[in-house]
Amino acid sequence: MKNYHLSGIAAFATKKVFSAMFLLALPLFAIAQTATDVVEPPKEFSLANWDWEFISYFVLAVLLILITARAFDIGALTERITGKKVVNWNATNRWIAIIFLLASVAGIWYEMVNHGKHVLIGDSYSEHGATIDSMFNWTFGFTFVVFVITEVLLFYFMFKYRYREGQKAHYYFHNNKLELVWTVVPAIVLTFLVLRGFNTWTKITAEKPKDAQEIEVFAYQFGWKARYAGADNKFGSHHFTFISGKNPLGLAVQDHVDSLLADLKKDTALLNKQIASAGDSAKAWKAAFVKFNTGSNATAYPAVYKELKTKMEDAESGSYLRQLKKDLRRKNTTITRITTYRKNQDVFNNAGNDDKITTEIVLVKGKSYTFNFRARDVIHSAWFPDFRGQMNVVPGMATWFSFVPTKTTEEARADKGNKDFDFYLYCNKICGGAHYNMKIKITVVGSDAEYNTWLATQTPFVAPPVAAPAEGMTPAQDSSSIVKPNTVTIR
Amino acid sequence: MSTAALHTDHHHDHGHHEHKESFISKYVFSMDHKMISKQFLITGIIMGIVGLVMSLLFRMQLAWPDEKFGFMEMLLGKWAQDGKLDPNFYMGLVTIHGTIMVFYVLTAGLSGTFSNLLIPLQVGARDMASPFMNMLSYWFFFLSSVVLLISVGVETGPASAGWTVYPPLSAMEKAMPGSGLGMTLWLVAIVLFIVSALLGGINYISTVLNMRTKGMSMNRMPLTIWAFFLTAVLGLLSFPVLLGAGLFLIFDRSFGTSFYLSDIYLEGVGAMENIGGSPVLYQHLFWFLGHPEVYIILMPALGITSEVISTNARKPIFGYTAMVISLMGISFLSFIVWGHHMFITGMNPFLGSVFMILTLIIAVPSAVKVFNYLTTLWRGNLRFTPAMLFSIGLVSFFISGGLTGIYLGNAALDIQLHDSYFVVAHFHLVMGSSAIFGMFAGIYHWYPRMYGRMLNNTLGQFHFWITFITAYLVFFPMHFMGLAGVPRRYYMFTLVKEFDVWMDVNKMMTIAAIVGGAAQLLFLWNFFYSMFRGKKSEQNPWQSNTLEWSAPVEHLHGNWPGAIPEVYRGPYEYSRPDREDDYFPQYVPDESDHAGTGGDGHKTAPKRKSTKKEEVAENVMFAAIKRVFGWS
Repeated sequence: MKNYHLSGIAAFATKKVFSAMFLLALPLFAIAQTATDVVEPPKEFSLANWDWEFISYFVLAVLLILITARAFDIGALTERITGKKVVNWNATNRWIAIIFLLASVAGIWYEMVNHGKHVLIGDSYSEHGATIDSMFNWTFGFTFVVFVITEVLLFYFMFKYRYREGQKAHYYFHNNKLELVWTVVPAIVLTFLVLRGFNTWTKITAEKPKDAQEIEVFAYQFGWKARYAGADNKFGSHHFTFISGKNPLGLAVQDHVDSLLADLKKDTALLNKQIASAGDSAKAWKAAFVKFNTGSNATAYPAVYKELKTKMEDAESGSYLRQLKKDLRRKNTTITRITTYRKNQDVFNNAGNDDKITTEIVLVKGKSYTFNFRARDVIHSAWFPDFRGQMNVVPGMATWFSFVPTKTTEEARADKGNKDFDFYLYCNKICGGAHYNMKIKITVVGSDAEYNTWLATQTPFVAPPVAAPAEGMTPAQDSSSIVKPNTVTIR
Repeated sequence: MSTAALHTDHHHDHGHHEHKESFISKYVFSMDHKMISKQFLITGIIMGIVGLVMSLLFRMQLAWPDEKFGFMEMLLGKWAQDGKLDPNFYMGLVTIHGTIMVFYVLTAGLSGTFSNLLIPLQVGARDMASPFMNMLSYWFFFLSSVVLLISVGVETGPASAGWTVYPPLSAMEKAMPGSGLGMTLWLVAIVLFIVSALLGGINYISTVLNMRTKGMSMNRMPLTIWAFFLTAVLGLLSFPVLLGAGLFLIFDRSFGTSFYLSDIYLEGVGAMENIGGSPVLYQHLFWFLGHPEVYIILMPALGITSEVISTNARKPIFGYTAMVISLMGISFLSFIVWGHHMFITGMNPFLGSVFMILTLIIAVPSAVKVFNYLTTLWRGNLRFTPAMLFSIGLVSFFISGGLTGIYLGNAALDIQLHDSYFVVAHFHLVMGSSAIFGMFAGIYHWYPRMYGRMLNNTLGQFHFWITFITAYLVFFPMHFMGLAGVPRRYYMFTLVKEFDVWMDVNKMMTIAAIVGGAAQLLFLWNFFYSMFRGKKSEQNPWQSNTLEWSAPVEHLHGNWPGAIPEVYRGPYEYSRPDREDDYFPQYVPDESDHAGTGGDGHKTAPKRKSTKKEEVAENVMFAAIKRVFGWS
């Protein structure tokens, strides 16, 4: 072992600090690799661009911590030399444990008081929500008691039974009765919770309520759309191959599907042409690249350089051709599918023409609703936190959730004392970059009249011919009557 | 007798270590389990730093969404233009943070380190059953780590579909930037990782079953070994399923199959060809690994805690048999509860009920473990070494996080709590913090065994208290946020007015995370400094009973210079009333102790002579229970 000389410590510490900093910086370098790979090179490399303020803070912080660490080490050295304990950690820790326990209680208390009603589960605004909340309260009751008892015991034992010289622990390895108690008691409590949970869960999810009005909720990257059945109370059929810019939900509407089919046929014709001339295009890209790549163009226009280079390489390696062929195959499959379904009169029965696609969900207080979920691209999750409802929205799979709203938006605003409050449906399954901003407003109104007024302002998907009287613009039936959808799902 | 043969075998060439080993065969491609364990540990620590730094970056984004951080642009280039983190890269950070922490730090770093170090030393074997496979296990892990780190730097960004990488988001290149090359590399890394985990697991199982020394019956094995053994079994049975899931995903991504894809229209691409697959299938396959995985993470930590608490409380672990049975129960149940991650995926609600029942049963063995830890502490003689503190911290986190599992395992409550911050709080406490505390406990406890030197105690104490307090400050308030309806994996909360009340809490959590992260510098300093300059360790610095402390401080190839010591009793004979010392190592023979009769040491131990005072205390403690159940 080396001798510790106080004069040597400074030099030694400096050396160690640098090596430790290098070590710490390693992972940062790994992340920083992104910087060298970017499409558009970052601003010209210059030390002036660096965040020197941050770097100096970082270095200072690291130095400070390491110097502290070193100081402790010198403390340990003193202990070793003098043979005296500077701090009796066994005695100190018992007090820290008690202080920690009290501070935690204070912290939780502070949080409860400060965030008031936000802490613990808030008010629910649906009929079944009350059962979930009661389930929550039972669970909270049991777990809170166990939590307090066990955590207090843990820290109390730290306080009480700390090490003392000459003291001997209680030789106690086994007690069947005791172990039986803490196996059986949790088992009983859990049986209770399981039975209650089972009941609640089954009631909420097992069966679609028969008298509920159905609303289709459609999820895509990154937004929601709702679809209300139109005047005929029937939802039009849909299929994912029918989706186009004009027909975002892919409804089986003849005009839209026909124009989509025509577009696709145009695309395939173009693709066929491109495939035939792929060899020429490779030459053309190469020529373009060679022409561009003169003088300082490459550094002056890095984006163009990179694009041309990629295009040229793709064309030469055949990946451009492969991509074209893949696109062609995909489009041909879509055309075949659409053509097949197009012949099916059950599908193209114009039921969807008067469907109303909305960017807001409006519900009537006290009525039962079933939401049928459909996803366009990836898995989303429809979360109605205020209504205690959640269900994943899965492409290629039909899912649903039902609830009865019990208060209007206005009443909820009064409850919360917040006149800007609104119900929202959030996306709660990671679905891409803008996941955090994927929501749709839900408005609960007090009466059918209000709902009908709102619905009247929404235009049907296909505007009715001018000659026909504007029947489709107002609901033909009283909306309180049962809406029985008749959706044909194509497989 | 195979064991006997093995003994003599090694006896012949135990002088092996004196041969001059080259640098490469000793430090790089080493087949010695102790060196491999150090390699796992250091790789795990490096990966842990990466994961920690990532979490700090996205925590800063959550706390100060409108702020511009120059250093972020410096670090991340185009992903943080003008110092604002890109939402896609935020997802990437979240994903890679999760992957690194779950697989690279808490599976390989924890289980790999301590299984390798302790299994041969604690059961009394010269090395693993197959040292070569053991070496491969590390190098596959190393390769996998490298691939994962490289994936962070690719042009389109790392995998960003969450650490669970649910398809279709992860299956289609155009679904999000991270689903391109980054996702491919993620899958490659995970496949390599699974190979590593399987090679390790087979080794651990065969070593524990076949290579125990004389007298080391299964019911005399330390609880660490039980935990490592059952963990290895879990890994061996569940990792291949993830391999299958990953291969299907690779097929869907690259070869046009439709295992997980159906009825998809992708913006910018058009209608996809895939029909007939199910995204939910992937979730079933993933969670069939994913749920045992959380026990793969947690059980070694629980095993380490049992050992550390018993040693430092100077008391036998309470209810050894119950501990083993509850470990077995947890292992078994963990295979049939995966559906509780999927209550609201649209699977049949009846299936949800079944999974709910099975899930809540797990609370029973977990409760048994907690109560047994508490009783072990009761009337102990607690030495607060850093390892002991971290173990107590683990128990505290295990309680806090475990209890919220009762909420989430309940399908009815999961409707509301699923994917909210409540879930983030739950698993960061019960699985994240608990397991990392178990790992720290292990490092502090066995550092002398690994490096022959002691870690600085004072630094350890500070490291513990700062980490413990900041971990609670970061994760506990998340419960409240989740209950108020704040969803997980949101890049920022400012777009929803209702979440504004949480901004202050978010800032507090981020500051706590930064302080906690900085406190790890104390540990790193301690770790690397003590490696060279720490106080030299005694042979048995903690006065522990288990076999690893009978080996010399200097590492030998083959662990013991002479014959392998024999085992005479169970591992937790602390403070026996008939002994003067408060410990009685497994390897110390004693005629009066019915040496070598087999069976649990407890059975052969003399009856406890209880004093009047003890009896009174006991009576007061359990009077209520006795009254209730009418026991005399």
